[in-house]
Amino acid sequence: MKKILMATVAATALMSAFPAIALERGGSLTFARYDDSTLIDPIYADRNPDIWMVTNLYDTLLRTEADGKTITSGLAASYKVAEDGLSVELTLRDGIKFSDGSAIEGKDVVFSLNRAANPDLSPWAGLLASIDNVTSEGNKVTIGLKNSDPTIVLMLATFNTAIVSADAFESAAGETDQDKAKALSMEGFVGSGPFVMKAHQRGSMMQFAANSHYWREGEDGKPLPYIDGINFLVIPDDATRILKLQAGEVDAAEFIPFARVSEMQADANINMELFPSTRIIYSPINTRPERADGSANPLSDLKLRQALNYATNKDALVQLVLHGAGKPVSSGLMASTTQLATDNGPIYQYDLEKAKALVAEAGAEGTEITLTTLAGSADDGIILAALQQMWSDIGIKLNVEQVDGPTRGAKNRSGDFDIHTYGWVNDVNDPAQVAGWLGYNPTAKAVGTGWNNDEFNSLYEASNTEMDPAKRAEQYARMQEIYAAEAPLLFMYETPFAVALSQDIKGYVQTPLGNNEFATTWIDR
Amino acid sequence: MSSLSYFISRLLQIIPTFLIVMVIIFLLVRALPGDPAIAMADAKATAEQLEQIRERLGLHEPIWVQFAYFVKNVFTGNLGDSILMKAPVTEVILERLPASGFLALYAVLFSLLIAGPLAFVAALNRNGWIDVGIRSVFQIGLSTPVFYIGLLLLTFLAAQMRWFPVGGYGTTFWEHMYHLLLPALTVALYTSAIIMRNLRSSVIEVMDAEYVQFARAKGLPEHVILGRHILRNALISTVTLLGLSIGNLMSGTLVTETVFAVPGVGRLMLDAIFARDYPLIQGLTLTFAVLVSLIFLLTDMIQAMLDPRLRVS
Repeated sequence: MKKILMATVAATALMSAFPAIALERGGSLTFARYDDSTLIDPIYADRNPDIWMVTNLYDTLLRTEADGKTITSGLAASYKVAEDGLSVELTLRDGIKFSDGSAIEGKDVVFSLNRAANPDLSPWAGLLASIDNVTSEGNKVTIGLKNSDPTIVLMLATFNTAIVSADAFESAAGETDQDKAKALSMEGFVGSGPFVMKAHQRGSMMQFAANSHYWREGEDGKPLPYIDGINFLVIPDDATRILKLQAGEVDAAEFIPFARVSEMQADANINMELFPSTRIIYSPINTRPERADGSANPLSDLKLRQALNYATNKDALVQLVLHGAGKPVSSGLMASTTQLATDNGPIYQYDLEKAKALVAEAGAEGTEITLTTLAGSADDGIILAALQQMWSDIGIKLNVEQVDGPTRGAKNRSGDFDIHTYGWVNDVNDPAQVAGWLGYNPTAKAVGTGWNNDEFNSLYEASNTEMDPAKRAEQYARMQEIYAAEAPLLFMYETPFAVALSQDIKGYVQTPLGNNEFATTWIDR
Repeated sequence: MSSLSYFISRLLQIIPTFLIVMVIIFLLVRALPGDPAIAMADAKATAEQLEQIRERLGLHEPIWVQFAYFVKNVFTGNLGDSILMKAPVTEVILERLPASGFLALYAVLFSLLIAGPLAFVAALNRNGWIDVGIRSVFQIGLSTPVFYIGLLLLTFLAAQMRWFPVGGYGTTFWEHMYHLLLPALTVALYTSAIIMRNLRSSVIEVMDAEYVQFARAKGLPEHVILGRHILRNALISTVTLLGLSIGNLMSGTLVTETVFAVPGVGRLMLDAIFARDYPLIQGLTLTFAVLVSLIFLLTDMIQAMLDPRLRVS
């Protein structure tokens, strides 16, 4: 027994002294995707299949670690925010090159940031509204701001500020900037990321090859990426994507349905990864005094909204919809992986007695509410059945209305709903985007709920220029407190990104924002 | 009427069909609830961004102005840019059409190979156990959902036996043949059931016809009766059915395309509808209308070849 113990101790010591497996280079990865990219360009990427690929082709000035929160250097070796918060100075790394071998210079940064901040071009320009001017001298770049902006450093680590080549855009075919971006995305691709676009057949496949000029070094001291290339296959059907992985035709398959996660976990050949995400599933509640048809809206009563939240067993929903692969939200306003998220455990823990008391106080027994769900969505079907049952316990009758995505979006905008299912994934590393969408009324009527809270709105506005991190964190803590108490949503749950990989694929990461990171992926052959 | 003038008169009939389709499509697409700007910008756009998008798409113009632009563009060969794909509609459709066309023709070929011989065997053994057996098997093909047959084939023949790839389309002709074999078979199991039933009853009907009895009384050899009299006459209604099937298949193999990851127009149409991609929906529908009209024209021509009465009338 003692000998076995000694051997175990020795083995453990050895394993910690050397990496378990020697890292290997070369080989290409075949990755099954649920949808294809259309245009992978920092400013025109507006759908997740585009956004999540940008940083593989274009590098950013700063980067975030895999946790999505910690800022680290990127194409810029260092950065400094001025005392008054009105400018940021960056120093570019020496010897950085685009994939065509040309140097990445200050003029490229100026071009890229001006392009990203131009509201006529970029749908994301609003995120850079504080930028006044961008100048460069040698390897120094200075960003002048109209007002102090606590998000600006994070924005420089976000896909829309990734660096493109000014010369390549200049000489690309096409009249408009978007035409040029399209031309560049196909033939004659020039990028700054770890990979280059090699081929793209819309709707079926896309190929990336390693960028031999990429600057970041791997653990072996040589430049990244480790693999020679990636073949993406577009396989919209969940079951087919999984079969393809099981048959060994692909090395990885994304968006594994949660119902099949445990089956994948039991398969010895498959490494089932559940990457923490900023994805939250929630249901906006119409808080306006009147419904769209002019009738009185019972949901304008805070007590009823709180009652619905208490009567909803989120743990049960997580089991039913996600088969346990998720958790109830702990901040109503954002996923727990978001910066500045408060986490004091799940909010509105299931409490039937409290819910009944609140319904009685609101005099809302027998109220009929309509849940608008997405037609054809299995998840929404389960949510509806569960809520119908849970809420019947407090005397609320839940009806259903099934619509497709665009109709649901239009109903959200016009306030023509009682409650509807919805979801969100952050695109940027700062909570301002999600807080603006879910809570700040002027952006989109607090995710269509019509909720309008003066204290929340002023805190949000103040937080957008607050440079003291501690103060800003306080503001966010208070906003989250108000939001939870006011319950403009039916708070539900957070879900991870479920990716199944063959056991020999190492180092693949999907960040909390959804970005597919292939730079450090390697194949154990 | 000569064959040529028959052909031309049928070709001219396509024009009004095309015009009617244009009006219907234009109006139907706009009758869909939901705003393309919202569908396009996802949930995250601000009211200002939505306005910009509407402006860019010309959605502010009165509907008749939008229609006038649409008609003008169609006749100048410009179907606009797809909102979803950020590329010209014609380019997107032309990229996707070959896969669907290949699959449709492949499936029809399979259907004929399966249904043709079996229909004759069944008809010649009318109500015998072979006939009942064949019809029962096809009944299963007819009553099982396409996606289920597809998944079964994928699971056993592709994922487990590894005889075929799990979905995809390939790049060369032979790769297409290999990749599309299972999806084509999946579709064919359904269409061949319909064709088999139709052909079997036509053959039985023709076999009882007086001209066949007469041919037999004349003492013609059985293979001549079968080939010249029975087959040719029995095929007339089957050709119509076949034309309808190809028309359906060109636009309607959505489920098969999704399950087998075939980059065809069926899947594209669904994506376009969900994205309220007006230009793409219109472009696809017009393409389908032209294709179906041309296939029907071809069907009519083949029928006219088989049945001289049609040319005369």
